[in-house]
Amino acid sequence: MTEVFNGQEEKDVFLRAYSSMILSRMFDKKIVTAQRQGRVGFYTPTIGQEATQVGVSMALNPDDLVYEYYRDVPFMIHRGVPVEVLLDQIMGNSEDSAKGRQMPSHYNAKAQNFMSVQSPVATNLPLAVGAAYAIKHRKENKVVVTTFGDGSTSTPDFHAALNLASVYDLPVIFLCENNQWAISLPVEKQTKVEIWKKAEAYGAYGVKVDGNDFLETFKVAKEAVDRARSGKGPVLIEAVSYRIGPHSTSDDPSKYRSEGITEGSEKDPIVIAEKRLKDLGYITDEIIDKMKSEAKRIVDQKFDEREKIPPPKPETMYDDVYKEMTWIIKEEKGEAL
Amino acid sequence: MSSKQLNMVQAINSTLDYALSKNDSVVLLGEDIGRDGGVFRVTEGLQAKYGSDRVIDTPLVELGIVGMSIGMALNGMKPIPEIQFQDFIFTAFDQLVNQAAKLRYRSGGQFNVPMILRTPYGGGIKGGLYHSQSGEAYFAHTAGLTVISPSNPYDAKGLLMSALEYEDPIIFLEPKKLYRSTKIDVPDEEYKVPIGKASVVREGNDLTIVTYGSMVPVVTAAIEKNKVDAEIIDLRTIMPYDGETILQSVKKTGRAMIVMRLREHLVWALKYQHFWQRGLLTILWDQY
Repeated sequence: MTEVFNGQEEKDVFLRAYSSMILSRMFDKKIVTAQRQGRVGFYTPTIGQEATQVGVSMALNPDDLVYEYYRDVPFMIHRGVPVEVLLDQIMGNSEDSAKGRQMPSHYNAKAQNFMSVQSPVATNLPLAVGAAYAIKHRKENKVVVTTFGDGSTSTPDFHAALNLASVYDLPVIFLCENNQWAISLPVEKQTKVEIWKKAEAYGAYGVKVDGNDFLETFKVAKEAVDRARSGKGPVLIEAVSYRIGPHSTSDDPSKYRSEGITEGSEKDPIVIAEKRLKDLGYITDEIIDKMKSEAKRIVDQKFDEREKIPPPKPETMYDDVYKEMTWIIKEEKGEAL
Repeated sequence: MSSKQLNMVQAINSTLDYALSKNDSVVLLGEDIGRDGGVFRVTEGLQAKYGSDRVIDTPLVELGIVGMSIGMALNGMKPIPEIQFQDFIFTAFDQLVNQAAKLRYRSGGQFNVPMILRTPYGGGIKGGLYHSQSGEAYFAHTAGLTVISPSNPYDAKGLLMSALEYEDPIIFLEPKKLYRSTKIDVPDEEYKVPIGKASVVREGNDLTIVTYGSMVPVVTAAIEKNKVDAEIIDLRTIMPYDGETILQSVKKTGRAMIVMRLREHLVWALKYQHFWQRGLLTILWDQY
C-alpha cells in the first residue's frame, strides 16, 4: 500500500479504519440487544459489512457525496458521523435531525454529506446520478457514492441509474454491498450474472472485490474513485461480503438459510483486519483488546445518555410537509390536537 | 406595457427561455425535448440556444428523468423535467411519492426538492387510452406535492414564474387540448400568478362552478349559451386548492357544482363535498 501512504500516515489511516470497524461492531451488538430488550423499535444490523463500507469510505474526500441505504452504519461512523446522531435517529428522540419521523436505521447526516435514507430499495440510485450531474455542471472535483444491496440490482432504478450515469459520463460510484441475501432470497436466485459484469452492458467500468477485506476494498475503491474523479465515467463495485446477522430485527435467518460466515470465524471482516494489521506490525492483541473495550464503553455510555432525551413534541409532526404549512394541513393539525 | 398574442405553448416556451437565461442552474430534461423541441414543441429552439447540457435529451426512462431531477434539485439546481405524456409517468411514481414528496419531511426540513415537473395531460387530441389520461388525483393525494394546472396562456406564464421560485416539488399539468386553442395577450414583462390562489373567471349569483384546466373554456361556453348566472372558479392550483375562494362563493350562491375530467367518486372530490357541506351548513346556520 506504500504507493498511497507513507509509513506513519499509513499506520494511522489503517488503525483509524480498524477503530471504525470495531466501533460499528460494538454499536451493532448494542442496538440488537437493546431491540430485544424493547428499548429500540427496530434495527437493520450491519455486522459483516464493516470492511466493505470502511474500505470505500477510506477512498473518499470529506466533500464527496453519499446516497446511502439503510445498512451503512460503519460507512457513516468512518466518515465522522457522531454515534449520537445515529442513536438519536434510532431512538427517534427530540434531538434527531429528522425529528423522529423515520423508522430506525433511516439516518441522514448533512454535515458529513450523507443524504436521508429511504426504504424503497435502489430509489437512491437515480438521485445520485442527478447529484453527479450537478457536480459536473458546476465543474466541481467531487464524486458521488451510492450504496445498495444485491437485491437492488433487480430493480428498474438500478438499470436506469447505471444507464444514465454512463450516457452522461458522470462521476458516480455504484457500490453494491453484496451480502448474498435479500431478506430470504439468496443472490443466486436474484440474478444469473455476477453483479460486477452488468456494468459492461451500460458502458460503465465494473469490478469485483472481497468485501470482507478492508485493504482489498480500499485499493479497489481508490482506483474506482480516481477513475470517476478524472472524468472517466461511472464505476460499479461489487463488494462481496456476508450478512452475518438477519435482514432486520424482525426476521430469523434460521428459517431460510443454513449458517454461513459466523462472527469471529476466519472470514469475519474484523478478524481479517486484525490479521492484516498484525502482519503489518501495526497492532497487537493487547491493543485490540483495549480498543474493543473502549469502543464498547463509548457505545454503552452514549446509549444511556441518549435514552434520556425526550421524544419530539407531537405537534411537530405537521411541520416540513411543505416549506409553508398549507391551510389544509393547518386544519388537519387543528382537528387532531 | 408591451405584450404579445401568444398561445399556451408559446407562453410556456418563452417562460422557460426566460428561466434558462436568468439562472445557470435551471436545466430542462426529457424525451425529445432538445433537437425535436418536444413532441408538442413546447421546448422548441431552447437546446440550440442553451446547449445540450442544459436542455437535455434523455433516454426513454421516466423514473430516471424524475429521479435524476430530484438529485439535481437536492444539489442546488432547478430542474424542469418534462414527461412526454402524463400517461407515461407511472414508472416514476415511486420517485415522486417516495422521494420527491417525502424528502423535506423525512429529513426534518434539511433537504428539499425544488423541481418543476411539466407534463401534458387530459384528452382532446384523439389520443385514446394512453395519450389522454387525467391523473391529477394521484398526485393531489400525495402530501408534499403541489399540483398546478393553467387554463390559459396568461396563467401558464404567471404560474410557471411563481413555480421558478417555489422550493417544493411541483407537478405542472398542461392541458394539451388548450396548447394551441386560443391566443391571448401575454405581457412581455415578468409577472406572477400566485400558487394556491384560484381565479374567479366569471362572477355570478345562482351557482358556483369549480373547475380548472381544459374544462374552464367548456364551462364558460356552456354558461353563456344557457344564460345561467353562475360564478366560475378556475382553481389553477389543484393542491393545495383555494378553499377560501370556494367558500366565499358558495356562501353567496348557495349552490355548487364541480366540473373536472375525472371519475366522480374520488376521495379528493369528496373533500370538496365535505368543504361545501360545511360551507352550506354555515349559510343555513346564518339563516336559521
